[in-house]
Amino acid sequence: MFKNYLITAYKVYTRRKLFTAINLACITLTLMVLLVVTALLQNAFYPTGVEGRSDRFLQVTTLVAESEGGNSVRTGPLGYKLIDQYLRPMKSVQLVAAISSPRTVSVYQDDRVSELMLRRADAAYWQILDFKVLEGSVPSAEDVAQGRFVAVLNASTAARLYPGASALGQQLNAGGQTFKVIGVVEDTLQLNSYSDIWVPVTTDPSSEYRNQMFGDFFALLLADSPAQLPLIQAEVAEVARNLQFDDPRQWNLALMWADSKLDFFARGLFRTERQADSGAGLLLAIIAALMILFMLLPALNLVNLNSGRILERSSEIGVRKAFGASSRTLVIQFVIENVLLCLFGGLLGLIAAIAALNWLEHSGLIPYLKVDINLAVFGCGLAITLFFGLLSGVIPAWKMSRLHPVQALKGAA
Amino acid sequence: MIRLENISKTYRTDKVETLALKDINLHVNKGEFLSIMGPSGCGKSTLLNLIGLLDQPGAGTISVDGAAVKSYRDKDVAQLRNQTFGFIFQSFHLINDLQVIDNVELPLLYRSLPARERKQRAREALERVGLGARMEHYPNQLSGGQQQRVAIARAIVGRPQVLLADEPTGNLDSQMGGEVMDLLLRLNQEGTTVVMVTHDEREAKRGSHIVRVFDGQLVS
Ligand SMILES: Nc1ncnc2c1ncn2[C@@H]1O[C@H](COP(=O)(O)OP(=O)(O)OP(=O)(O)O)[C@@H](O)[C@H]1O
Ligand SMILES: [Mg+2]
Repeated sequence: MFKNYLITAYKVYTRRKLFTAINLACITLTLMVLLVVTALLQNAFYPTGVEGRSDRFLQVTTLVAESEGGNSVRTGPLGYKLIDQYLRPMKSVQLVAAISSPRTVSVYQDDRVSELMLRRADAAYWQILDFKVLEGSVPSAEDVAQGRFVAVLNASTAARLYPGASALGQQLNAGGQTFKVIGVVEDTLQLNSYSDIWVPVTTDPSSEYRNQMFGDFFALLLADSPAQLPLIQAEVAEVARNLQFDDPRQWNLALMWADSKLDFFARGLFRTERQADSGAGLLLAIIAALMILFMLLPALNLVNLNSGRILERSSEIGVRKAFGASSRTLVIQFVIENVLLCLFGGLLGLIAAIAALNWLEHSGLIPYLKVDINLAVFGCGLAITLFFGLLSGVIPAWKMSRLHPVQALKGAA
Repeated sequence: MIRLENISKTYRTDKVETLALKDINLHVNKGEFLSIMGPSGCGKSTLLNLIGLLDQPGAGTISVDGAAVKSYRDKDVAQLRNQTFGFIFQSFHLINDLQVIDNVELPLLYRSLPARERKQRAREALERVGLGARMEHYPNQLSGGQQQRVAIARAIVGRPQVLLADEPTGNLDSQMGGEVMDLLLRLNQEGTTVVMVTHDEREAKRGSHIVRVFDGQLVS
């Protein structure tokens, strides 16, 4: 019997090619976009890859300082002194890393100049983040403490600068300084870990950075467990309240927040540097609403297509009932037809999403992008299309199948 | 074979109540060819649908082979419809998405028969109505007469005891109508009971027995 249903469904679908194609395109496209978007979002926000511990760390990126009376305000990245003297001694943290924003530097290599991104990091940075080391090693605490001129490259940069040779031990001339390459790590595109070159913070040409409250650093604060994060947030706010500027007459109020990645983006979006609540909840709500809206369009289309077909099918239902089909058999038939279409569309969507992500990764449109399909999202998307497919295709058919055959034959809905 | 006792049927819409059939008593004998005649709107189709258990009477009892039909829930009547009746409609009601052979096979899907036998029987039925060469066609690729013959093949494929035909020639020209009539008569001669609604006195006379409906009641 089950085989009959499949065969009938197959026959109907191959016969109604346009209907099938539109339906499939609808499902496929929706699922594809949904998967690609969530894969990108997940890469950005979810603890994964190099930043796999991001459920355990927070970042402090911005310091807001205000003068007495509030007539002058300064907002900017942290200075190293702030991190070293105020954040490192915090009680609630396990580890604090200082890391500079990526700066563009000129790299001279065989008469060629490349503009590359360089970050200066302390030793804790390499412990908090989970870089996959392909060759050599990352700077040790001693390398950093001694101010050794060592550098780590990512795989693409290593291959570009030293084609056909190992990058290890090579001299790297970057921003007027010469480093020895000691390690190569995997490419990554995430908030705290994307860069081409990393060197110890102590190799900075001037030691002035050590005395600055404002600079171009931000801090990563690692907790023992995700449950500790609120403690860190409270303590950072506390630290900000008690911050002592060198000249208290210039700045007498400081604000800074320990943020998750989502908070970080929300703050940038909603300009909420001055309040504890970053607006991440709102951001999430907006993302969810957009996704639902996006899912709704094809869903409604599906409903529309299916209900347009129902009239046509009412005669079929009447005939089948007249010749001995029970409501149950009919419902099973319609369910199978719908489920089959959804599953097939889902499969196509999955393949299309994988292809699209593959293309994104390799096109260089977004450098160093490495993402994975989230199968849970795929499942959800599929469930939603199934839901609408059943809602639109099966429920009307089911209602009609409960009529007496005569009524169905006459097309009474 | 089929007995209707004190059957009434009322259609209710929001505004009006139509008494379509009133106190009908009718016996369809095994092997007969019964023609139902009457003016338009008098209740012929309603009567035929009640005989075939496609609709539920408002009052009265219908017995099939001596057993009264008590429930019209389809798990109770589906089997009876499938085994006892074969329907032929004025507007064919073929499923356009399915090939002729699949249309004809349809009643057998609701029995437990192996696929090979179903196909075999459907092929035989089509050959009987002279459409052995059209099995792979879709209904809308056939003429009206051919479509009605497909519908007849579908009605007889399950070898039902009773064929119910509601103006089977109503949508056909006289030549095609004649072919369809010949086919029904032949099936009747082979032992199938036929109940046919028609407007055509000459067609009706070719059957063994005529009942006339007027305004929801049997006359004569
Ligand atoms: N679903 C319905 N709802 C309301 N009234 C109906 C319905 N079906 C039939 N009727 C009414 O019941 C009466 C009998 O209808 P029926 O279809 O049985 O007539 P008929 O004799 O078959 O007519 P025709 O020769 O035109 O096919 C008519 O007055 C019709 O308007
Ligand atoms: Mg009628």
